Amino acid sequence: MMLDRTKAPVIRMPEDVQLPKYQKHLLDNGIPVYEVHLGTQEVVKLELVFNAGRPFEHKQLVARATTSLLREGTATHSGSEIAELFDFYGCSLSLPFNLDTANVVVYSLSRYLDQVLPILQDILENPSFSTAELKSFVHRKQQLLKEDLTKNEVVAYRTITDLIFGSKHPYGYNSVEETYAALQREDLQKHFDRTYTIDNCIIFLSGKTSPAHIQSLNKYIGRLSRTGGKVSTSFPTLPTVTEAHFLERPETIQTALRMGRKLFNRQHEDYCGMYVLNALLGGYFGSRLMANIREDKGYTYHIFSQLDVMKFDGYLYIGTEVGNEFVAATRDEIYKELALLRDKAVSEQELEMVKNYLIGTYLTMIDGPFQASELIKTIVLEDLSEDFFSKLVQTTRNITAKQLQDLANKYLQEGDIWQVSVGAPMKN
Amino acid sequence: MIAFSKFELENGLRVIHHEDKSTPMVALNVLYNVGSKDESPEKTGFAHLFEHLMFGGSVNVPDFDGPIQTAGGENNAFTNNDITNFYDLLPAENIETAFWLESDRMLGLNFDEKVLDVQRKVVLEEFKETCLNQPYGDAWHHISDLAYKVHPYRWPTIGKVPKHVEDATIEDVKTFFYNYYRPNNAILVVCGNIDAQKTKDLSQKWFGDIPSGSIPARNIPPEPAQKKLQQRINQAKVPNDALYLAFHSPSRTHPDFYPTDLLSDILCNGSSSRLYRRLLKQRQLFTQIDCYLTGSVDPGLFIIEGHPAKGVSQEEAEKAIWQELEEIKRDAVPERELQKIKNRIESTLVFSEMNVLNKAINLAFFELLGDADYINQEVDLYKAVTTTDLQRIANEILTPENCSELYYQAQAN
Repeated sequence: MMLDRTKAPVIRMPEDVQLPKYQKHLLDNGIPVYEVHLGTQEVVKLELVFNAGRPFEHKQLVARATTSLLREGTATHSGSEIAELFDFYGCSLSLPFNLDTANVVVYSLSRYLDQVLPILQDILENPSFSTAELKSFVHRKQQLLKEDLTKNEVVAYRTITDLIFGSKHPYGYNSVEETYAALQREDLQKHFDRTYTIDNCIIFLSGKTSPAHIQSLNKYIGRLSRTGGKVSTSFPTLPTVTEAHFLERPETIQTALRMGRKLFNRQHEDYCGMYVLNALLGGYFGSRLMANIREDKGYTYHIFSQLDVMKFDGYLYIGTEVGNEFVAATRDEIYKELALLRDKAVSEQELEMVKNYLIGTYLTMIDGPFQASELIKTIVLEDLSEDFFSKLVQTTRNITAKQLQDLANKYLQEGDIWQVSVGAPMKN
Repeated sequence: MIAFSKFELENGLRVIHHEDKSTPMVALNVLYNVGSKDESPEKTGFAHLFEHLMFGGSVNVPDFDGPIQTAGGENNAFTNNDITNFYDLLPAENIETAFWLESDRMLGLNFDEKVLDVQRKVVLEEFKETCLNQPYGDAWHHISDLAYKVHPYRWPTIGKVPKHVEDATIEDVKTFFYNYYRPNNAILVVCGNIDAQKTKDLSQKWFGDIPSGSIPARNIPPEPAQKKLQQRINQAKVPNDALYLAFHSPSRTHPDFYPTDLLSDILCNGSSSRLYRRLLKQRQLFTQIDCYLTGSVDPGLFIIEGHPAKGVSQEEAEKAIWQELEEIKRDAVPERELQKIKNRIESTLVFSEMNVLNKAINLAFFELLGDADYINQEVDLYKAVTTTDLQRIANEILTPENCSELYYQAQAN
């Protein structure tokens, strides 16, 4: 029989998209451990999370500096010894920067995790925060900052978050040379003493885990004893009147555009719906922005919209780098796309595409221990309900064209959007 | 250890299957044995532009991405000096959609002028975004030009100049397609929650009737041994100075690739590595420092790159690195340090097998190198490296005569 290549194979979407099971343990000192036992490879990921990010700072940039310096030495081990030990066992120690939390992450072959736990305990008990290390950190960061600030897209991103939240807000402020220079070792020590405590810590363990791992965790991390009581935070009032900022950099050949608005965190009733709407607008290759501005007009290599969601708040923004000659046209097309989402219901075919695409990405979110643990971490840290993930899946499956249009009318009004361009002058 | 099976269709398409029941997904990867090294020096950047055109519709299907996304999948591609590689990741239920689409674009493209027109613009914006409008974005243009005089690695995959991309015609597109995008010049890998029989049936069903082609013979001149240090100082509007040292190094298939790779790790992979620990942390001469191999199919480059700290001169920065290189040439690496690097590599390899897409891409690349099973031999090849090997390689490679040096001098803005 001749193969009919014009006919697409039948599509069937998986029914069963569920958050993998996890187990909760308590260490002797009360630190909860969320364990995801999954996977085929003999590896584990250990992640200790402290509520010690920007919302809990008493001085700007202290959170990032404190986390970064943890690996640089303790009362009994030099930074060099710590590095050598982790590397020797093929373990990686990373201290990723998050806005809300301080995370200490170890990836390890399952059989070697025990080897690095004693030193991890030491790091969390007696970090030295030496003045020399702080000084070298500050110099390095200042030089990297200088490099970053030559990139239009970095400046545009910094400007839009500053505009949306304000420059005093933990989610809005930006690092400058002076804030780095103002850091003192006492600031770091104070931040550490206050926030790196057992009552402010949650652990996530995933991969080919075993009861022996939990026992070892208890033996070392379960012995930590510093308490501090729950840390609290408060936020300055947010700006309300939207603005447009055009920063001219005559020598650049591409212009960075960022357009966005404040939204909300994952607890908001419209979060799941907006997750779908964002995908439709600019969240994947087939999105409106990509289809129009890249695949039809060729103005850019990449354009996207994204929901950035933190524990206490969130925002949506559109970003792209376009040839200088296309700046005004791109901005106009973006506004056209927002208007189209407000004025006209999405077709059944497009709705099916975005829904199925998202269901596929949900499958990858639970495919493997580390991904699953990431999802569980979000649920735990942001105080979401147990069924958050299944709500997201259900909303994606059931949302209608009308509901998406309503959300667009509620949240994608031109007047609510802040606008930033860095590069060529904005011409109308 | 990745267990796989391998077969070949009558048209010469090689197929590799690996089953992983732990995932709900299947990855399908198609590697074409064509890269920017197959371009004419007058038409560089073409292999990569062509990769973009592969998404613009084929003989029987007007759009590639739409159906993949409707099937709950994702897809993308990359091009480098050696290969053009396309991949799709879908829920296992819908993997036939990827067979349908990938086979149709191997059968033939629709050669739409509008697609070419738009993608030329997209690639020009990509050229600006990644090379022209980024500090140090043209480093690779300089390095490849310095290090290679004869071999087509002398231009980067994005293209030597934007003009070459602007000038591409639909005739170029057609010739390139029928020359290289044939089943006997491709490797298909299917990994994930799918059994061997189904993979066989679907491969035969969708790819079986695509005619093979006659692939132009490669006639790439080997790069002659470099005889003296190549230097270029680039005064540019960059925020800080930057130093790049590029040494000619063994090809990906050469037995010496493994000790060379470990040597680069000892110098600068991880926060306990030599250059990082001594030059960045202790002496604070650099704010960033890195070392890596290009790992290309033909002999590649061993690159050291660093950004000197404020107030550190070019001479001081160079001298500090050369001191480290002289030490590693002179004194054998201590056993514990070698063991450390081996442990790191083992860990990296085990982690790299966690992801089906990763496995699919790697199996295809190793098959291109000669045998997909090399993927399972790597750990042992790394483990067999001795401190004597490291010292020999260091003395062979890390010499001024074998080095190309690029230095960015930051001009006051």
